[in-house]
Amino acid sequence: MNDEQAPQAQEEVDILFFDIGHSLYGTDASQVLRIDRSLPEDITLSELGLPHRGHRALVFDTPEGEGHLKVDAVHAVRAIPLSSLRRMPPTAGAAPYAVGVCLEEARAVLLIDLVETARTQGNQGRH
Amino acid sequence: MAPDRAVAAQARPEQEFFCFRVGDLRLGVPSENVLEVLRAGLLTPLPRTPSFIMGVTGHRGEVLPVVDLLRFLSKGEARIGPRTRLFVGISGSYVAGIVADTVLGLRRIPVSEILPPPLGGDASAEHLLGVVQGPGAQDSINLINFSKLLQTARQRAVAR
Repeated sequence: MNDEQAPQAQEEVDILFFDIGHSLYGTDASQVLRIDRSLPEDITLSELGLPHRGHRALVFDTPEGEGHLKVDAVHAVRAIPLSSLRRMPPTAGAAPYAVGVCLEEARAVLLIDLVETARTQGNQGRH
Repeated sequence: MAPDRAVAAQARPEQEFFCFRVGDLRLGVPSENVLEVLRAGLLTPLPRTPSFIMGVTGHRGEVLPVVDLLRFLSKGEARIGPRTRLFVGISGSYVAGIVADTVLGLRRIPVSEILPPPLGGDASAEHLLGVVQGPGAQDSINLINFSKLLQTARQRAVAR
């Protein structure tokens, strides 16, 4: 089998899946610096649902310093084919941090831009 | 001898509508705006969208925004149950899933029987093509100008 016949490697992106309240979300794992214990001043956006306990925080970089988004659970980082990712439909007019959707069989998981959550809150949590 | 059907159709032109019920409303959408009907599956709510956008769902590898017409027309609020259906509506490049409690089916309606939308009606009347009266007041069907409705929905969504 020569190179021309080799199956083309499917482009993938690492998505980190996490829960806030009852909702499952995903984010580009490369945005996440680490997972930390949360503090009361960390970012919560009521539009994403209120955390049940919110004992963990996703830590990410912003131009103003680190941002911390409070979450309930972090599930896994999985390599997702680019073909399973979709941009948000223009008819939806969703929040700027809702950048797209990951199609998981029948389920559509909302993809979150962490830096935009910090901009939305106007508060980067701890620095 | 029965008149030729083509001649009869010319004499009494008809338009085909996809008819459905949602809440207390019986609505019809031109059949050319309807691609298919499916069960309402898992919906993913979207943050900061207008209330008439119930969320998105995955369908045939695409993301479909799901619209609650009751909220859009300020006539209440749709509920998703095990028997709820979505019909996939299209106008130009815009596609959306619309919630329907019950599908009434395709109906060919003589154009002459389509009455104009009520004058002085509420804001929802601007999205009507007309009304078809039934035997009872509850049997009338409001015919939706789906292209205009989807255009307005998009404008309201992106204007936020």
